[in-house]
Amino acid sequence: MTTNNRETDVTMRKLTAALAFASMCAFASAAHAENYEIDGQHAWVTFTIKHGIYGTAHGQFDAVKGAIVMDKADPSKSSVKAELDVGSVHTAYDQRDSDLKGPDFFNAAEFPAISFESTKVEKVDDKTGKVTGNLTISGVSKEITLDVTLVNEAPAPWDATLTKAAFTATGKVSTADFPMAKAATGFGLGPDVDIVIDLEAVKK
Amino acid sequence: MSALLGNPMVTTAALPFVLGVVMALLARFALPPSSPVLSLVVAALLLFFYWDTLGPPVVPPVAASQKLIYLAFAGIVAGLLPERLLSAAVAGKLVAAMFAAALLWLGWRRLAGGALDLQMIAALIAGLVAIVGVAMLLSLRASPSPAAEEPFLAPAAMLALCLAGAIISVLGASIVTGQLLGSLAALAGGWCLVQYIAVLRGGTAAGWSKGAELILIFAAATVLIQVALLAPKANPVALMLSPLPLAVAALVPGPLRGLVSGARPLRPLVAGLLIALPAILAILTALLFAPHGAALGFS
Repeated sequence: MTTNNRETDVTMRKLTAALAFASMCAFASAAHAENYEIDGQHAWVTFTIKHGIYGTAHGQFDAVKGAIVMDKADPSKSSVKAELDVGSVHTAYDQRDSDLKGPDFFNAAEFPAISFESTKVEKVDDKTGKVTGNLTISGVSKEITLDVTLVNEAPAPWDATLTKAAFTATGKVSTADFPMAKAATGFGLGPDVDIVIDLEAVKK
Repeated sequence: MSALLGNPMVTTAALPFVLGVVMALLARFALPPSSPVLSLVVAALLLFFYWDTLGPPVVPPVAASQKLIYLAFAGIVAGLLPERLLSAAVAGKLVAAMFAAALLWLGWRRLAGGALDLQMIAALIAGLVAIVGVAMLLSLRASPSPAAEEPFLAPAAMLALCLAGAIISVLGASIVTGQLLGSLAALAGGWCLVQYIAVLRGGTAAGWSKGAELILIFAAATVLIQVALLAPKANPVALMLSPLPLAVAALVPGPLRGLVSGARPLRPLVAGLLIALPAILAILTALLFAPHGAALGFS
């Protein structure tokens, strides 16, 4: 065997070992990451906003969908992607719902969905964490951080093959960051909007 | 003072009305109506209304409402062209092309979505009626000896379109565009009042220059199209009726010629009533068939 051939052989062996190590790491990571699908029938995305000098207005989005990847061994590898149907917003008053769907606020005709995509997940303790990501409303994205609690994860009592996880998330956004700022200011709304999310997700 | 300027009724109605009066007085006593300075004043007022109701321009504009101020600016650039160019036969076609481009730009997200629902059909028809009306109105040539109603045709058409559009917009759940159209209606109203008092006093009313006409009517019609495209509960029939005053204003001089001959102060009133008829029908339709719970205010 020539010197050149021996060098090539050593390089190939090193490369194969490196690839094998990388594959094992990837497998280990994939083995810890679990996929969940948000259960739209058991998802409550609610918000509250100050109504002028008076009370606090409440609203909710009914149509929610999305996916969660949860890596318990390394939470930083977890991720969340969710979408709200703007047409499903309701506040217990028809005309106000129409106003919110209109061009002054969520602008459903042009932007039918509000989306959230995580960019960073940090563990606080065994049950809580912080999920940072981009919230996109009416075509404008803003980074927000949600405080998330894993409420429970367990097989359904009526079906052992169905495992669900329940989460609660809270956060704050400002109307000033989105195209609704002018209308909100004009009508004395906000600017702070408190978000409370309770949802269940089905393990895939 | 800040509380006064913070009141939407002041900034939407009272202030634009006073500014319309001031603009008309300027045209009567300080500047010839065809002066480019007057067109600049009109442009500045228009940008002030846009800024006040929609906020500062967003770069790049994403939503249709953010595009409106850029369209107004395009209208201003075109409106500041020399009067002889704006009075040429091709001007009407140029403005129609500008308007068609504005309609496509404002509506591209909805058009790209491919949803041809009732609202979209109404928006397209309203847009088409507005394009034809704007082209007809801007193609009108000034007569060597103008009749009493002639200076009122464009302002009355804009007043009628904006008033109908404002009410349709607010009832249709688009309050900010309603405010903007309300401001433009008040501005035109202030102008018309001063000019009509001049007619009553035996004088001659001053009309808008072609430049001012283009700036204001292009702005008003583009805001109306935004309402038609995006206000979720805007009445489709009312929307289709509301741009008709533009075309009626262009058609009125002929039939009116032999109708109220001699009654000089009556002529602008009759012309105004004819121009306003489609707008009155639009307002009645919007009010009578308003969605449940709709109100002329914020909920």
